[in-house]
Amino acid sequence: MKKSLSLIFVFCSLPTLLLGQRGIYQHGSVVRMHMGDCVLAHHGFAVAFGPASPMPQEYCPEYTLLSENVVYVIVGKSSNQLIPLAESIDFRLHKNELAVRVDDAKRETKFTIKEMIVRSEWERIQRHMDQQMRASENQAAMSTRD
Amino acid sequence: MRVVSPSRLLVFLVAAICAHSLAFCLNSSSDPDEPSNSTYHSTVSEVRLVFFATENNRPVQDLQKDDFAVIDDERVIRTFRSFSRTTALKLDLIVLFDSSDSVLPNFKQEMSSVMQLVSEWPRNSEDDLSVLSFSGTETHAVCAGDCRRSLTADQVDSSPKGGTTPLFDALDTATSLLSKRRQPDVLPVIILFSDGDDTVSKDSFGRMLKKTLASEVQVYAVDVNATAPSNGSATLQKVAEDSGGRYFHSGDGATKIFSEVINDLHSERIVTYALPQSSSDFHSVRILPTHNLNLQFRSRRGYYDPSNSTH
Repeated sequence: MKKSLSLIFVFCSLPTLLLGQRGIYQHGSVVRMHMGDCVLAHHGFAVAFGPASPMPQEYCPEYTLLSENVVYVIVGKSSNQLIPLAESIDFRLHKNELAVRVDDAKRETKFTIKEMIVRSEWERIQRHMDQQMRASENQAAMSTRD
Repeated sequence: MRVVSPSRLLVFLVAAICAHSLAFCLNSSSDPDEPSNSTYHSTVSEVRLVFFATENNRPVQDLQKDDFAVIDDERVIRTFRSFSRTTALKLDLIVLFDSSDSVLPNFKQEMSSVMQLVSEWPRNSEDDLSVLSFSGTETHAVCAGDCRRSLTADQVDSSPKGGTTPLFDALDTATSLLSKRRQPDVLPVIILFSDGDDTVSKDSFGRMLKKTLASEVQVYAVDVNATAPSNGSATLQKVAEDSGGRYFHSGDGATKIFSEVINDLHSERIVTYALPQSSSDFHSVRILPTHNLNLQFRSRRGYYDPSNSTH
């Protein structure tokens, strides 16, 4: 009786587990990328705000990843840790890191999360920056014409 | 209530009609074909990027538009206005060789390399090929236009030799020449033979590099240093890599170098996209894969904003 009950339990919970496995990934799109300081990726905040280290300067890729509701700024752990820049990528949060699926989902690569911001707030800041840039461009064009 | 007499109303109507006609005549008196005094300004807001794609050090033949993204000043660009191969484009090529004192011990070998390059250049192509040399304080024209047919060993041998090395000035002169005769469907290229050690130029390395990037000229540098790589080698490498060209050492063998340069130049891709907004005049550029992380791309390091006329 016990055996059959546990079998029924396993059969019932299997689809839920599979769905859970498939559904753990969120989708996002990388909109910005640059090579930045590796300090944060290597040592975390303690070293980032502590005294300067004598280690040679290394640059790590820093990405701005837009998901449906949150914008993440993530940093790679070495200079050649790249994300494929497809229109949409799969990622998940795992132990304070962000894991991205690469190589057609065969493996994951993990990034340090540098910043997280609500998407609506990020978009508002971007709009403001664009407006400022356009205004300064117009001002420069006007002064050239004069 | 005041009543207006019919005669006054008639006078008012006639006056109104005359005023309207006069205004119409004044407006239509100017010929629409005549240029107006107003000046309309528009800026070209498109970026053109020439690049080369490899996978495991081999050229990629079937690259698609969605296999790569351009990082333009941090922004990821995936929407392109056009994407094509450079095979349809003509090359405007300047072979620029160093004939100063520092390279004289290997000058014969350098000359034979220049002659081999010119003679091996595909004859059926419509590319323009000129040859310039530099030594002393000047850049000298050895052969202009269609050097594939007209260049002789005597011409090369009789070019001025010895003295100081005005490398940066010579690159500046060659870049200016290519910029002056620039056509939209022509790719400007310099193939430079030198040891990279400038000794006399008025132009600085930074200014020369800035001008090269602004003019979209690709530099292929052949290092003729006989010994181990020097500071000059680093200079050549920097110019070549920043401009989207390549660096070779003469020890690699002339035949190998030239076949790679010719293949390279005839199998590059061109992508165009809308100029993104940026707070700086210089846009750094990098191309990265969208799916296959084994793909590698080579292009110029950046460009100066074309809407800024100071460049």
